[in-house]
Amino acid sequence: MDALIPFTTSGSLVDCVDKKMVVMLRDGRKLIGVLRSYDQFANLVLEDSVERIHHGAHFADIPRGVFLIRGENVVLLGEVDLDLEDTVPLIPVTLQAVIPIHLEDLEARRRRDAQKAKILYEQHGFCREGGEGDGY
Amino acid sequence: MADVPSQGVQEPFDLIRLSLSERVFVKLRGDRQLTGVLHAYDGHMNLIMSDVEETIMIVEPVEGAPEGEGIVRAVKRNLDMLFVRGDGVILVSPPSRT
Amino acid sequence: MLIFSVFKTLTDQEVTVELKNDLCIKGTLKSVDQFLNIRLDAIQVLDEARHPHMMAVKNCFIRGSVVRYVQLPTSAVDTQLLEDATRREAMNQNKR
Repeated sequence: MDALIPFTTSGSLVDCVDKKMVVMLRDGRKLIGVLRSYDQFANLVLEDSVERIHHGAHFADIPRGVFLIRGENVVLLGEVDLDLEDTVPLIPVTLQAVIPIHLEDLEARRRRDAQKAKILYEQHGFCREGGEGDGY
Repeated sequence: MADVPSQGVQEPFDLIRLSLSERVFVKLRGDRQLTGVLHAYDGHMNLIMSDVEETIMIVEPVEGAPEGEGIVRAVKRNLDMLFVRGDGVILVSPPSRT
Repeated sequence: MLIFSVFKTLTDQEVTVELKNDLCIKGTLKSVDQFLNIRLDAIQVLDEARHPHMMAVKNCFIRGSVVRYVQLPTSAVDTQLLEDATRREAMNQNKR
């Protein structure tokens, strides 16, 4: 009986279509755009999308356009609450201001992770993560 | 093969089956390990455990030390009832029966 | 299928999902599918300062493959039932 009910991703995302969504990707990027389509693998079509770069309370957007995102790269899909969005204590800044700091953040993180992985691999038998270094 | 559902370990999952309702040790990706009472598992090695103690390994850099050195510190956390996704499991070790 | 069934019995309960990128999200379990993709409502992100992009998000879809743990409400889980169901499923697998 239960098996007859379709429990697919398709069912659960209907109400998100045509809404403003934030998508987290496995490499840590955040995309914001309007969800236009999806399927059972969580492949997504995002329209009018921007990539948002955060540093602390500051953020900036890079216009990206239309994306079809392959499902396996999706971590999370969140519906942006338009009322809540206006009250969030985040400060828009220019891309030029945030990108250099963001690149520094990424590089510092990469170095820290690599060092940690090396020590734990050698001393405690934990595995190093795959080439992307993202633990997925 | 296993019409006799009872004893013996014929395949890997039998070892986990025989550990049901016992305290097991689980090593995970992401520098973590767990001990807890095993209540359920499936073919993906998804687990449901209770009374879990998680140990996370953290590496703290040492001031002035050369790169590639650091102090390894274990941080512990207790969780009542936990689902563990199978793709993160490195190994499951049954309770030691002495 | 067993674990999927367990999650189905937990719909409308409060759970905490921990992702492999260390993001922890508490919320009401709205739905789950056979890949263990999860829909959460009324979410609350732990350590929100580290995840500012989640501040304006109230409900979300989490891809099953990125989940590390789900913390379940102990009272909603019958451990004896789970163990029996697990043994039964293991037997059926062996017969095949």
